[in-house]
Amino acid sequence: MIIVNTQEHPWHEGMTVQVLLDEKGYIFRHIIVRVNGEYVAEEDWARRMIRDGDDVVVLHLTAGG
Amino acid sequence: MGRILKSYNYEPGKIFRGYTGKSLYINVGDLRIEEKEVTQLMKDKFIGGKGFDLYYLWKAVKPETQWNDPENEIVMSCGPLGGITQYSGTGKTLVAAISPMTDIPVDSNAGGYFGPLLKFSGWDALELQGKAEQEIVVFIDGNKGLIQIETAEGLAEDSHILAEELTRKYAEDEKDMVNVSVVSAGSAARHILYGMLNFSFYDPRRKTVRFKQAARGGLGTILLDKKIKALVVRFKGINPNLNDVADIGLINKIGVKYHKEMRDLDEKQNGMRKIGTANTILVMNKYDLLPTRNFQTGGDPEAVKISPQVFIENFLTQGIHDGCWYGCTMSCAKTADHFKLLTGPYKGECVTVDGPEYECVAGLGSNLGVFDPQAILEENFYCDTYGIDLISFATCIAFIMECYQRGQISQEDMGGLDLRFGNHEAVLELMHQMSRGEGFGPMAGLGIRKLKKVFAEKFGADPQLLQDIGMESKGLEYSEYCHKESLAQQGGFALTNKGPQHDEAWLIFMDMVNNQIPSFEEKAEALHYYPMFRTWFGLMGLCKLPWNDIVPADNHLTDIPARVPEHVQNYVDIFNGVTGMQIDKAELIRQSERVYNFQRVFNLRMGSGLRQHDKPPYRSMGPVSREEYESRQDLYDKQLREKQGLDPEKMNLDEKIAVTRKYREQQFELLTDAVYKRRGWTKQGVPTLEHLAELGMDLPEVVEVVKQYL
Amino acid sequence: MKALHHKQEICDGCRECEKACSKAYFKREDRDYSAIRITNNFNTFHAVMCTQCGECINMCTANAIYRDKNDVVRIDKELCVGCLGCVGFCTELAMHYMDDLMVPFKCIACGICVKKCPEHALVILSSQA
Repeated sequence: MIIVNTQEHPWHEGMTVQVLLDEKGYIFRHIIVRVNGEYVAEEDWARRMIRDGDDVVVLHLTAGG
Repeated sequence: MGRILKSYNYEPGKIFRGYTGKSLYINVGDLRIEEKEVTQLMKDKFIGGKGFDLYYLWKAVKPETQWNDPENEIVMSCGPLGGITQYSGTGKTLVAAISPMTDIPVDSNAGGYFGPLLKFSGWDALELQGKAEQEIVVFIDGNKGLIQIETAEGLAEDSHILAEELTRKYAEDEKDMVNVSVVSAGSAARHILYGMLNFSFYDPRRKTVRFKQAARGGLGTILLDKKIKALVVRFKGINPNLNDVADIGLINKIGVKYHKEMRDLDEKQNGMRKIGTANTILVMNKYDLLPTRNFQTGGDPEAVKISPQVFIENFLTQGIHDGCWYGCTMSCAKTADHFKLLTGPYKGECVTVDGPEYECVAGLGSNLGVFDPQAILEENFYCDTYGIDLISFATCIAFIMECYQRGQISQEDMGGLDLRFGNHEAVLELMHQMSRGEGFGPMAGLGIRKLKKVFAEKFGADPQLLQDIGMESKGLEYSEYCHKESLAQQGGFALTNKGPQHDEAWLIFMDMVNNQIPSFEEKAEALHYYPMFRTWFGLMGLCKLPWNDIVPADNHLTDIPARVPEHVQNYVDIFNGVTGMQIDKAELIRQSERVYNFQRVFNLRMGSGLRQHDKPPYRSMGPVSREEYESRQDLYDKQLREKQGLDPEKMNLDEKIAVTRKYREQQFELLTDAVYKRRGWTKQGVPTLEHLAELGMDLPEVVEVVKQYL
Repeated sequence: MKALHHKQEICDGCRECEKACSKAYFKREDRDYSAIRITNNFNTFHAVMCTQCGECINMCTANAIYRDKNDVVRIDKELCVGCLGCVGFCTELAMHYMDDLMVPFKCIACGICVKKCPEHALVILSSQA
């Protein structure tokens, strides 16, 4: 189990940041990802592995509309 | 055509640091024209833009003034930063009046050239009062220092023709057409209450007149009720320092930095230069936020048919500048050129459609169950040229469609129109009926609040159901987000001054997706900061899209990325650079708070503005119907278990709906308490005298109103 | 299409071109007012100036940028509103502005600097666009 934006989310082997974003349906282009507080740049999403127990924050950056 | 009823010559006020120092009063009833001084008090407390609008409107009306009384005013102002050319989004006009939809002040903003040209013609604000005896055109020539009131005979009704006629008439030649801007409504605005105002600008590349709208709250209806067919301003000679700013170097530097950001980052971020605000359709659909069939659900598999890509590939002209004021490199005002109309009086003609913006595709598309891009663009065109507020229309028709679908009204009640979800032919026919003032058009043009009464009294519909599914608050229709899973946004729409719109706060991602503001206090802080921050754009004459529809590359490293701190600093610097004052980010919020609280007290003065007026319909807060509950059953069941400690397995559907409702309604009350506290208001929503004094807004006339409620 | 070209291998960085340009158009010898700017990168001299690519034409917010009969990209000073959008958007960084001017300025391939270059490192070339 991992935490995504303060909510529990099931973890599995081979989960990268990109896999997680796909699972959550986070298609918004304008987001910031932090894993255990550490910023992950967009070009690393496909490589950066997520481990069981990680705390992930996916900030959707708009207060617009 | 056009007999001159009144001619008035004036010496244009010299602009100094963003202000001309003068405002223009025109009484179209007795043809009185007066010049007023813009006082230091106005600048200190009301700043400009919608602040000036509300200042003058307060003085013009009485507590019992109705929207169609002669003393009601349409006031316009573009604000001290309006008209600078170096930064994106600096050409907004703010308009206010007592609204036919809400009976309280409404303010609405539009792009287009009118506001800046009005200011450069010498006027920080324009008041229009009275009612003309016959239809007139008001013309202001800022180069000649001439105001002319003329009769309007022989002019077209609909804006796309009318504005073109007037632009040609008042421009000296073809080249001069860019120096003319027209404000007009359209044929439907005579027959409905949510008529809007088109603000024109001439596009020299397309060789056509284009529009942006001050759409909300029935301003176009008021214009025509005053028998003002159009306002025209002409000013030639735009340059980068007509505002005579305090520090042009600072303005230039910030402008160039921002243009570079736009060049480098827009394509990676929101693609505003390609598609404009409609970029978000598929995002909203994916996040369960795209309002579908009267906000029942947050999306539909068919949404791909109205995706940005479909519009870009099939309709929208790409690769040329599309801003609605000079210097806007965000350039989001897209058009479909050579668009062939399939219905209505202009059937077969090829026109330029300004749009579609997000609200258009969501409102006229998914929320009506329409997933046909051609139909959406045609609806978009007719809304604009007929002078119909697209958002109120869309939300109102969605309501009517659901009433029909649920058997609350019949096809006969709608004069034979088969307004079921997805029937875009019927939607277009209804628009044409609004234009002609026939059939079901005028009734549908009353707006949801009045229709609830009509449907219950005349057609025997269930008042409670109508109350639950009619997406209006204060009499104004909601804009197009299915936000019921975001408590903060429920407040963002209902705890507003003028009614639910997306001008004040948009907190859905922050609240529902990011879970950044879980507590009531955090939500209340957001419902303080964002409405105040965003009000500031309306004081200045600015568009808010350039604030956060693009952000600096290192924005993610900042303390509060959602606020886009560097851009907020840009605004502080631009304000200081124009006016020569020295404000900081805290004072920026203070400036807004003064006007925001003034507007709240204005609502009180007009008999509204209390807690009871800040209630949303339940459709905004949770699942009204069984189908809605079932569409998100897992989520709602989980909430019953986790938030209320109940076992959904042991409850039937109706019990679950009822318990969920009770809980959510309580949550909204707790949110309201927290927001009022943060804003310095009593539990009834009245600004306290201490708070007004602290803000420096304890003006005698304000205190007098507030005291009645304490 | 007419455009100014710079021969990096023979330029010795004397910057006579900058002086000639600013003098011709702004009556002063000040490189901040020159449409050509020579930059020194470890004694290799690079010239920043307009390539006449025309990317700024369509993005101009006042429709003030156009190609003249020689296909040179020009700014119509009557129409320009000084928004500086082109300055921010120019990928060559070849669109310039100064705070005391109302409109930006750029190289229009006039050839004044070509004549003044002692090393003959500048040349106006015409090509089929």
